[in-house]
Amino acid sequence: MSPIISATGVGKTFRQLKRQSGFGGALKSLFSRDYTDIRAVDGISFAINAGEAVGYLGPNGAGKSTMIKMMTGILTPSAGTLSVLGREPHAHRMTNAAEIGVVFGQRSQLWWDLPVRDSFDLNRHIYDIPPARFADNLRYLTAMLDMASYLDRPVRQLSLGQRMRAEIAMALLHDPKILFLDEPTIGLDVVAKDAVRKFLAEINRERGTTIILTTHDLVDIEEICPRLIMVDDGKLLFDGELNRLRASLGSRRRLTLEFATDPGPIALTTATLTADEGAAKHFVLDDETVSLLDVLGELGRGHGLKDVKLEEPDIEEVIRTFYLNKPNLASAP
Amino acid sequence: MSSILRVIPHLVGIHIRTHMEYRGALLIGWIAQAIGYAGIYASIALLLARFENLGGWTWPQMALLLAFHLLAYALGAAVSFVQFRDMEEKVRLGTFDAILVKPIGPWTFLAFSGLNIEYGGHIALAIGLMVWSVSSLSIDWSPGLVLYFLAALISAAMLTAALMTMIGATALIWVRSRHLFAIYFGFWELARYPLNIFPLPLQVMMITVAPLGFLAFIPTAVMLGKPVPILGDFAPLASLLVGPLFVLIAMAHWRHCLRNYQGAGG
Repeated sequence: MSPIISATGVGKTFRQLKRQSGFGGALKSLFSRDYTDIRAVDGISFAINAGEAVGYLGPNGAGKSTMIKMMTGILTPSAGTLSVLGREPHAHRMTNAAEIGVVFGQRSQLWWDLPVRDSFDLNRHIYDIPPARFADNLRYLTAMLDMASYLDRPVRQLSLGQRMRAEIAMALLHDPKILFLDEPTIGLDVVAKDAVRKFLAEINRERGTTIILTTHDLVDIEEICPRLIMVDDGKLLFDGELNRLRASLGSRRRLTLEFATDPGPIALTTATLTADEGAAKHFVLDDETVSLLDVLGELGRGHGLKDVKLEEPDIEEVIRTFYLNKPNLASAP
Repeated sequence: MSSILRVIPHLVGIHIRTHMEYRGALLIGWIAQAIGYAGIYASIALLLARFENLGGWTWPQMALLLAFHLLAYALGAAVSFVQFRDMEEKVRLGTFDAILVKPIGPWTFLAFSGLNIEYGGHIALAIGLMVWSVSSLSIDWSPGLVLYFLAALISAAMLTAALMTMIGATALIWVRSRHLFAIYFGFWELARYPLNIFPLPLQVMMITVAPLGFLAFIPTAVMLGKPVPILGDFAPLASLLVGPLFVLIAMAHWRHCLRNYQGAGG
């Protein structure tokens, strides 16, 4: 089966004017136009098959949105070759747009002052959706996303969760082969996030819609995407099954031991000391199989232990640590 | 092409429905715009009452010039001004990206989904002033002149939309483009007056790099049989060609900017 999306050495470089500090610098830059090349995406390669659900993960500025913009035809790659549904997205932007759906978590495509139904209806004309198919899809999406109660209400009166469900429904009305979602759960409460995640997983499973999702939220990935692509500084860090990554993530849990008074140096075989603040000592657990009981057992009594805190690492830290420790890990799925 | 034509009424319709959500604001906007322009025209009329003519143009002739200026501007700006003035925000906030992921030309989407019916006040005032001025002037309305009037009006409206498009498109590369609108409106103000009252370098500018002399003065002078500086007998044809010519230039500029669009931020 040939991939539905294929990226080979894709890069995107933005040319940025060199700015100098101060008033003198501002004046100088009026006459000297020095530019710096910023590599937002740097030689990324991957292939995605039809029906896959892929999480595209990375910290702010990692190049996630730039990659999505290239795959949706908004931006032209500066290097490499990118093919979506067998064509170059930027060169065939409109044809590509007819076969994909795009949801931006932070910018709405709905008409703010009008009922949700009006935005859907406009899309029916823009995407030239046959009336019967439109009616079927609207019925299905309304039921699945529980939108019946607000379909005729102006968008400005909807909650963020309701609006996001409407955005997702609008992106699916024309039966796109690929659904791109750029941080679809950002700002949503727990219940709304759960509804969105369950629906996306279902649409991928039941309808076979390929899903490409960017997010900061690991739970999005966990519930929707079996496959993960991790990037940082525009480079590919990891491409593979989520379970494979989880093993790496587990080893990065952080442990803080707080003592009544400074017990002096503490050495553990199950954890590495990262910071010593006297009465508070910070460790990183080396292995995901190590439990808190193992650590406490090794520590033993008599140190005046007051409190223990075990934290899952946040995603940005995980990616950064991952990048520093395993720069050449990128692998095919 | 047929699919685009089929979508346009729906784009216009959804925009009008949006405006109708705030009917009071729309009506007050129309009245405010008409009063604003009427005030400017009253001050020009007062000046002419004192000096009798301006560069050889009497008040009824000036009224025709002003009416043509306003009507051509309103027709062109309705599909372009607000839409392209706001390109900066569209680029900065990423809403332009959301247009690029639709299977429709972004110019078509922008122009018609933002068709500005707030120009109703401009158009009503311009038509009223034009009817009054034409009834006060002894113009020989031959079929040829009627055709010329309509074609010159369309050409001037096309020129307006083309210039607005070019300025707005610049935001796709520079992110900022509003300052260019300030320059445009500087020349636009001058275009309310007969070209011959300005020094020669400004006259040359107003028919070349900032061709707003074609917005009203040149077509009105042709209709009234008045001499047109620099262009002379070429003025009638030039006033008909300038709109389509600038539309072609604007299309090339728009495509260039679109090809080199970089977005702004994530």
